[in-house]
Amino acid sequence: MDAIETTGLTKRYGHGGPPIHRPGRKQAPEAPPALDDLAVTVREGEVFGFLGPNGAGKSTMIRLLLGYLHPTAGRATVLGFDSVRQSVQIRRRVGYLPGGIALYDSLSGERLLDYLGGLTGRPSTRRAALLDRLELSERTMQRPVRDYSRGMRQKIGIIQALQHDPDLAILDEPTEGLDPLMQRAFYDILGDLKRVGRTIFFSSHVLSEVERVCDRVAIVRSGRLVALEDVAALLKRRKRNVEMRLAGPAPKLAGVKGVSGIHQSDGRLTLSLEGDVAPFLAAIAGAWITDLTIEPAHLEEAFLEYYADDDARERRGLAGATVMPLREEPAQPQRAQPKPPPTEAPPDAAPKSKPARAKQADTP
Amino acid sequence: MNLTLFLHTLRSNALRLLVIAIAMAAWGSLMPLIYAHFGSQFRDMMNSGLIPKQLAQFGGGDLFSLPGAIAIGFIHPIAIILSSVFAVGFATAAIAGERQRGTLEVLLARPIPRRVIYFTLLVCAFIFVAVVIGAFLVGAYLSATVNGVIGEIPADRLLVVWLNGLLLFGAIAAIGLAASVSFDRLSPALGITLAIVLVSYFLQILGSLWPDAQGLQPYSLFHYLDPKAVLTTGASTFDFGLLAGVALVAIVAALVIFPRRDLAAPS
Repeated sequence: MDAIETTGLTKRYGHGGPPIHRPGRKQAPEAPPALDDLAVTVREGEVFGFLGPNGAGKSTMIRLLLGYLHPTAGRATVLGFDSVRQSVQIRRRVGYLPGGIALYDSLSGERLLDYLGGLTGRPSTRRAALLDRLELSERTMQRPVRDYSRGMRQKIGIIQALQHDPDLAILDEPTEGLDPLMQRAFYDILGDLKRVGRTIFFSSHVLSEVERVCDRVAIVRSGRLVALEDVAALLKRRKRNVEMRLAGPAPKLAGVKGVSGIHQSDGRLTLSLEGDVAPFLAAIAGAWITDLTIEPAHLEEAFLEYYADDDARERRGLAGATVMPLREEPAQPQRAQPKPPPTEAPPDAAPKSKPARAKQADTP
Repeated sequence: MNLTLFLHTLRSNALRLLVIAIAMAAWGSLMPLIYAHFGSQFRDMMNSGLIPKQLAQFGGGDLFSLPGAIAIGFIHPIAIILSSVFAVGFATAAIAGERQRGTLEVLLARPIPRRVIYFTLLVCAFIFVAVVIGAFLVGAYLSATVNGVIGEIPADRLLVVWLNGLLLFGAIAAIGLAASVSFDRLSPALGITLAIVLVSYFLQILGSLWPDAQGLQPYSLFHYLDPKAVLTTGASTFDFGLLAGVALVAIVAALVIFPRRDLAAPS
């Protein structure tokens, strides 16, 4: 069974039905959907990253999963329960950390955790271990929450979400306000949860942490899914930046598989390398190289590449089409390319509201 | 009802409830005291024609009979303000206030249906109102006993007066809670509920002071709170039924609205 499954999940704020046409009256523009035809599957036991800039629809997705919002179209199931009809059963087995969590300031940390644990109705079996890992002393827990720093509040937020050992943890920007040491402690906690088979749905815009802890990642933009892939596969396909210093003639790299963007000046050669490194290594064998640097691919670059591609398409009037992120297409100036109607999208672009690229990637 | 939420809400409001209850008891004890010491003088002044008749019947009460003194204490702005601390303040802040502060997020993340959250808070609101109204009547009863005038009223009817007050301020609390579950911010919920209370109060007082405006009184919720009549002639089933009906309508509205509404991320 999948931990989370959404099909055609759409959320439009404001009104449920289509706009009413009144002849002679100016039609109010229909609000863009906060989430548009989202199809995501999160497998049990995986750490799933949900990436996107502010306003992309991350929080809307989480709120739909927990029953805070009702979908305009489509459906979502969490741990096999329907998000609309069975949200109580979902919340019984889920731990949720809201983004920018607000707590009851008048209570002490301990009273607050007792209260929230009591409302959950499950024993707080992980609390002691979490307090220890996040370095919250007994004395600190006796102080009122109003005296806590932002980082301490975030720690309490993490503990209230995980203290009852939920089957699925939904964490919205969980490391916000944590110092680097505590971030590391938090990643260790996630590692422990993963080892015992818990599922973690992790919303963030901190790419380095997603890269570090997530098995798979979904990228959303303007409410639409633009990618859904294994983090490892995503990184594998990213271009690495290669720089070498030469003490002799440059090796012949033109036409070598995976190599592009070759640039040479003053004994320094730079290029981009994609995919398997073996052909490249074979090509430089025997060359007089004094120094060689291959920068590892970062998720940030992959992320920016997705968005750069999407920007280019949007500028050309194909905002509704799903991008093929690995294709490099030069952005066309808007004046040079008149905006075509959506039906004139090129064959490689999937029709609107059908994120074919993402759905393909999701298929095992 | 959720016991954990119920106990937490009672604990969080315990001190406030104690202070308001003491203030209400003190206010309730003042009216029999004034009546016992100055009632006959007020009657003489009234009979002399120095005071206009309408002024002597402010809000349906008077100061020259014990039932009238208790009634005037009930409808006096001080009693209304003290009772509204919970009937309006607590009720409107119960959901909209938590939503505005952002703490509703962690509450809704627990496996508790929204209807249960609402019902628990409604029970708390009724308990707070019941204690506050009860404190007024306890104060009045003790003061009447100490001042030797308790024999002028059937003491058991004080319970009926308590029920009448509970129904009025319970209805106001139900309206406040219905507004609270309907808005994301406290100010509109508080504004609407306060407007209903103030307009209602204004109509009732206006009608009691100005005979030409008496026709407006049935549109006021306060018109159906009549301690003097309860203590002298007995309770009106219609008054009680109407207040219970208003509370019921507000409760049903909240039970329909709250589970169905979207709760977007707090801004």
